[in-house]
Amino acid sequence: MAEQIIFKREEDMPYQPISFASMAWNKTGSWRYLRPRFDNKISLCNEGCPAGQDIEGAMVLIGKGKVLEAWELFKEENPFPGVCGRVCFHPCESSCNRKDFDEAVSINGLERFMADSASRQGRKLSPKRDKRKEKVAIIGSGPAGLTCAYHLARMGYGVTVFEALPVLGGMLRVGIPEYRLPEKVLEEEIDQILELGVKTEINVRLGEAFSLSDLGEYQAVFLALGNHRSKSLGIPGEDAEGVMSGVEFLRNVSLGKEVALGKRVAVIGGGNTAFDAARSALRLGAKPFILYRRTREEMPAFPAEIVEAEEEGIEISYLVSPIQLIAENGKVSRLACVKNRLGPADEDGRRRPVQIKGSNFFLEVDHVISAIGEDADLSALPKKVGWKENAILTDERGATKQKGVFAGGDIIQQPRTVVHAIGSGKRAAIFIDCFLKGNKWEGLFDAIRIGERGSLSIKRYLQEEKERVPFSSKTVRLKDLNLDYFDYQKRKKMPKAQIAKRLGSFEEVNLGYSEETARGEANRCFNCGVCNLCDNCYIFCPDVAIQKQGEDGPNVIDYDHCKGCGICVEECPRDALIMEEEVK
Amino acid sequence: MKKILVGNHAVSWGVMLARAEVISAYPITPQTTIVEELSVLCADGRLKAKFIPVESEHSAMACCIGASAAGVRTFTATSSQGLALMHEMLHWATGARLPIVMANVNRALGSPWNIWGEQTDSLSQRDTGWLQLYCESNQEVLDTVIQAFKIAEEIRLPVMLVLDAFFLSHTAEPVEIPEQSLADDFLPRYQPEFRLDPKEPHSFGCLTPPEYFMEFRHKIQQSMLQGKAVSERVDKEFGEAFGRKYGLIEAYRCEGADLILVTSGTIASTARVVVDALREKGRKVGMVKVRLFRPFPKEELWEVLREAEKVAVVDRNVSFGVGGIFAQELRAAFCNEKTRPPIFSYIAGLGGRDVTPQVLNDVVYQTYKRSEPEEQSVWVGMRS
Repeated sequence: MAEQIIFKREEDMPYQPISFASMAWNKTGSWRYLRPRFDNKISLCNEGCPAGQDIEGAMVLIGKGKVLEAWELFKEENPFPGVCGRVCFHPCESSCNRKDFDEAVSINGLERFMADSASRQGRKLSPKRDKRKEKVAIIGSGPAGLTCAYHLARMGYGVTVFEALPVLGGMLRVGIPEYRLPEKVLEEEIDQILELGVKTEINVRLGEAFSLSDLGEYQAVFLALGNHRSKSLGIPGEDAEGVMSGVEFLRNVSLGKEVALGKRVAVIGGGNTAFDAARSALRLGAKPFILYRRTREEMPAFPAEIVEAEEEGIEISYLVSPIQLIAENGKVSRLACVKNRLGPADEDGRRRPVQIKGSNFFLEVDHVISAIGEDADLSALPKKVGWKENAILTDERGATKQKGVFAGGDIIQQPRTVVHAIGSGKRAAIFIDCFLKGNKWEGLFDAIRIGERGSLSIKRYLQEEKERVPFSSKTVRLKDLNLDYFDYQKRKKMPKAQIAKRLGSFEEVNLGYSEETARGEANRCFNCGVCNLCDNCYIFCPDVAIQKQGEDGPNVIDYDHCKGCGICVEECPRDALIMEEEVK
Repeated sequence: MKKILVGNHAVSWGVMLARAEVISAYPITPQTTIVEELSVLCADGRLKAKFIPVESEHSAMACCIGASAAGVRTFTATSSQGLALMHEMLHWATGARLPIVMANVNRALGSPWNIWGEQTDSLSQRDTGWLQLYCESNQEVLDTVIQAFKIAEEIRLPVMLVLDAFFLSHTAEPVEIPEQSLADDFLPRYQPEFRLDPKEPHSFGCLTPPEYFMEFRHKIQQSMLQGKAVSERVDKEFGEAFGRKYGLIEAYRCEGADLILVTSGTIASTARVVVDALREKGRKVGMVKVRLFRPFPKEELWEVLREAEKVAVVDRNVSFGVGGIFAQELRAAFCNEKTRPPIFSYIAGLGGRDVTPQVLNDVVYQTYKRSEPEEQSVWVGMRS
């Protein structure tokens, strides 16, 4: 620490006012009555990701070219970045603050980029913790089941996954077509889970090959059966030959079974299953068309899928309901339909279709695929597990009414998406761990919750309590950012296969980002609420009271000299600093 | 080598001979052609300097301050409103002890708009700690630029040289251009003791508490006073090297004069003609041209004026509520002398109005006629 220089006489002083030593002896921090503090908050993307991934953190890493580190960060929370990077409906992007500035960051495309880069470089993961003696049975190998298996295996538990089908992956494998999710991508991520020591048994259906009571050697069970049963159309003629469900059709295609389709294939429904079925049928040489009872506005399928289907030339008829299937010689040949108009909204807020009298018409068809929704077949479960309207009832941990039995994925009451399934698998892993250790779980949510929308961080859960950095529960909105520091920048477009190449082939449609594009796109991220070492505070601090600690930070505040002027807080582009009253 | 130059280009050529290294300026009539010519000299390589165009005079002076603190010779030029806009930076340049040289082309300040000559702009800056040298001819302008850098760098204070709008700035005269080598010998490279240098970091002009501030101010005052002797010496050395010198003041035919006119700038040229004519008629009239205004050359003026019966000051400027500024300065300077000539104050030529021989004859006539000065400055050459 420099000493204060004292000039006794005018002659000793320099001719101009100039410093000869540091003023660090002058602890101007004593003047402060407000105190800035680095306070990382929650970005809306992180809050919005049901899988609880640290998206904001990964954007920083990709932006710096540290792609594998970004992938590892994602893998902490989710074993399926390669899958999610292709099929997730990316609620993170709908939450992104950037969407109200110019366009949301292409997080989904970047997730895929990370996973593809890691795959190309053959990256593997290792178990995190020592082996434990307890064993857990997981029923169903879809995204929920395998995610739960992954996290439990990393925590050292012995895990066995029971699967009814001859293949692993659940709906990822038999529900989502190859052109959206190539089998090798899924297989690679499943292999990484199996390499952690997860055991699997295939072709064993609950209720046929075994029952819950046979699982006595397991201390906990996770139910993730999935929704594999198609809802019926409920109209006459449904059992005619040439009529099948979307789930069944997609499963047969995925499993490589022979599927003979005629030319004219009517697909009924407006969800992702309907679109997957229509686009698969197209690739098998048919000329499918989609009938939907409401308008595009109410369609539950992902907008990107609708656009791609249209690009591929699939005709979509809106406000049309089938009312009867007419067979000729036992085989469906005509579809009687009626036109609808939109009536008042029903309980889920979508406007209800109302049939228009006398608008009946007929369509010539060779095949009909019905895809109006799926539900769970829970008939093999004992009553005490507890369910309502074909959905298992769980508490906030994912625990059912039966002790030691947890549930997740499409069979519980939550949105039926891959990423919600993954989130529920992770949640179950956390609370199965609590359950098996006999730990209290009630206070845990405050420490591991990411925002207010139910996402949890297993990374924080696995940290010792004292290692956990204090976690702000505040989220950062566009108005909290200092937008002077951001330029308008167009979202980078994801290249797609040419339409001619897509027809007649199950080759992947989306082609992924190049490294350069990915870095540019990641750098569009505002890093809402999280210090990314942009050093604005360091540059602006008039008292040099922001101190850098090497390349990876964190920046710290020298409170001996910080006068509390607040410029750092004002100039922080991303609301990662706050001002608090000084406590003397 | 002789060239026909307007006064503004005489400034530019002086700056080139002085090898200024950074020039930053903002255009304003009637100064513009100074920096216009300098930008040409920089562009074609005759002057190896960084020319920084800026968005205002305030920024121009700020640039000069930064560059000068970094240890290079810096120059700017302005006029009137531009100088007024620089005001706070002028104080800063002084306090930071930076030897910046500026040419100010005297011009009246608005409102109403006026682009013609008047000294009120530069005289409004008399308390900023800049030395001020008022020039009478284009040759004096060029020579004063070179002298100004030498004075400034020795006493570490900024210097303003002042020339009249249009009468000098836009009027062509033959000007002797000295050899560059001669100028280089006279004015060696600027080598400050301290400079902004990342390799040797210092903080410049940092917060200075009351227990030290007065000493820094006292040092400036001492240097300013020293500036008189330094200016005199530099002028003498300049005379030896180049054969031309100007003095801090110039006394013209003051021997045995009973009335001495005191003025500055181009009015002095007219006054010479008037004095010659009056002497011809047997009137004992002389003229003193004040070249150095800050620091004020009291002793030199006293030496010449003490014997006169009357002194008449012609000011092309006004301090509202008092009157002519040179007169006011002179009165203040002599107020402690026991017997002193009465000082008559006249205001003439504001906003570029011609100060003709007739106007100066009127000044002489009125001064002879009155036994004592009027309480207020007398405005001459008015519409009647």
